[in-house]
Amino acid sequence: MKNPVDARPNALARRRRLALAAVLIAALSRRGLPSDLVLPGEGFLAGWKVAGTPRIFRKAELFNHIDGGAELFLEFGFERLTTQRYVQGTSELALEAYEMASPESALGIYLMKCGPETPLPGIPARNSSETAQFLILKGRYFVQIDNQAGDPKLVPAMTALAAALLGKIPAQAADMRLFDLLPKEARLAGSERLLRGPFGLQPYYTFGEGDILGLGGKTFAALANYGEPQGQASTRIAIVYASAAEAAAVFRGLKANLDPYLKILDAGATGFTFIDFRERYGRARVTGARLDLAVNLPVRPAL
Amino acid sequence: MRRGYRSLPPDNTLDRRDFFKASGAVGAGLVLGGRTLGAWAEGDPAQSAPAAKTPPPRPKTNVEDALKVPRTARSLPGPFPGRVVEINDPRSLPEGKPDGKVIAGMFEKGVTQLTGQSLKDSFGLFFTKDDVVGLKVNPVGPGLISTRLELVDAVIAWLEKAGLPRKNIIIWDRFDYMLKDAGFTPERFPGVGLEGLQTMDEAAQEGKKQDNSAWLNTDGTHVSAPNFDRENYYWADVEGPKDLGYLNQGVFNGKFSYFGKLVTKKLTKIVNLPAFKNTGNAISMATKNIGYGAVCNTNRLHGPLFLDVCVDVPAFPAIRDKMVLNVTDALRAQYDGGPDGNAKFCYLYGSLFFATDPFALDMVCHKLIVEKRKAMGVAVNENPRFTEYLRYAERLGLGAVSAPKLTHIKA
Repeated sequence: MKNPVDARPNALARRRRLALAAVLIAALSRRGLPSDLVLPGEGFLAGWKVAGTPRIFRKAELFNHIDGGAELFLEFGFERLTTQRYVQGTSELALEAYEMASPESALGIYLMKCGPETPLPGIPARNSSETAQFLILKGRYFVQIDNQAGDPKLVPAMTALAAALLGKIPAQAADMRLFDLLPKEARLAGSERLLRGPFGLQPYYTFGEGDILGLGGKTFAALANYGEPQGQASTRIAIVYASAAEAAAVFRGLKANLDPYLKILDAGATGFTFIDFRERYGRARVTGARLDLAVNLPVRPAL
Repeated sequence: MRRGYRSLPPDNTLDRRDFFKASGAVGAGLVLGGRTLGAWAEGDPAQSAPAAKTPPPRPKTNVEDALKVPRTARSLPGPFPGRVVEINDPRSLPEGKPDGKVIAGMFEKGVTQLTGQSLKDSFGLFFTKDDVVGLKVNPVGPGLISTRLELVDAVIAWLEKAGLPRKNIIIWDRFDYMLKDAGFTPERFPGVGLEGLQTMDEAAQEGKKQDNSAWLNTDGTHVSAPNFDRENYYWADVEGPKDLGYLNQGVFNGKFSYFGKLVTKKLTKIVNLPAFKNTGNAISMATKNIGYGAVCNTNRLHGPLFLDVCVDVPAFPAIRDKMVLNVTDALRAQYDGGPDGNAKFCYLYGSLFFATDPFALDMVCHKLIVEKRKAMGVAVNENPRFTEYLRYAERLGLGAVSAPKLTHIKA
């Protein structure tokens, strides 16, 4: 079996990617500005009432709502959060609608938040739902509905609330071609993630301090896990920067500031291999504007 | 409801103020022409995605001052360095509702397993009848992942039965409103003290009102400023932001994080009662509960010194020489989505963990949460940097987190 990490991009593939990029960029440039989403009112289901007024948080005001996690939203491109509580007797639901900069931003935050997806069929959008919480993705919105009591009797009300809200959000699919940067062979289904900076990268791997991949909250990276014959999964990350010069600068910075728990084994002008603290291997390779990273490899890769 | 403590930030990255600036740059519009696939988005890529910066040095702190103070017989790591006892009982939370009787039994078993003495005799290992004992709870994620009231009942019952007056027991946290939200009220705990080191006006913080008079004095100081001890502080060469929102939450915004007077002047002993949960890729348990709970002006520290604060603050005598026991409440635990409560990632664990050494306790619990995260398919970054602060504590002589001293005893 061909190791996906060894699939070096050739000139034809590069041209195809650049053409694809041009199409995607043109599509993105046509995307709309933030809308004024009005959350569902009292009539979403008989007996339920709104509690208090909706609250809106824009940009960095998000720190005042989720001081423990605003950074990740901002990194992905956060525009506005609207929240509303709903009550019926002693039961309560909380709705949070996060408007992101693009469908890809919304997808990025959704994938970060949902863990292994557990979709509920009754919800007319991609979702990962459990009794206590629905996480939903539609267009530029990441939606969270909380049932803090965890009462299973509230699931129909949560579903109705979700349907009432989703009807107001325009369908706008994220462009999944970002994941085409990653090899398909041996990719573990459901492991795909997007990154846009160090907060997103943190749960997966530490290459060094800060924004060592130079994503800057602006450049998307695609990540996925891969099955390995030895059992444990490896991880690949692919990034295409604005220019070859930028990719080369990030590569140089990565090599010079590599985490002290990683040791470089072999190094060349456009790549290096390393071993980590668990004696798993990794490789960084720059090709034009593209940076490919492979980590958690069970076998030492070729340079 | 506003959510509490911040999660683990990567070093050398955007802080809150930088994000304000970044937000302005984003608002400048889309510059997409000629970009390659990965460079979607706002701003000028040539300027926005530079090569990695050289890591800044660790900011200077005054932890050396703390280390110069002679240790006492009760200083951390206490009489049982490295020893962590776990008591598990699946009956503790039947259908998610705490069973006080079962929890009290677990508490007794845990203390006796830790000390090797009866509950009554164990009291004398840690306390005298004249002590004023503070129970540091964790009220974040109220009702879901906050410290169980029934665990606090068990501690109070132990102390009272041994002869400590009820009025000498104080349940405390940094924020007064969080205590109330989590059920720590005078009605629920009559005769026991309840104190928050500070208040914070949530409505003003959330922008729901412009009137700051509930927390801000006319001279520009926070109403809770007198609650902090200007003679006892953790200093770090990191300036707190000057905006009102920061001051509302932090009480002060310079380079000093003052200890609460409750901790320095009133309490003579502390029992630390954290909850079992994550903060990003790290944990928010025993050492974070006290490290970020005993001082003010902490948000400035998250970026440059985040986990080190969990060592530096307990290194000061106000904590080091008073915090005699730690019990981590893992009756219900949370493996992801923390440090705020997040029901999706909560599970019934049914355990209490006991230690005099909070660093050993956190090391054991870190390993356990990593295993849980793996089992649940959550991404785990096992880079040793996420437990480096615990080895730093060991080097300072505050804990024993390495084999063979580190022992996890299950009962």
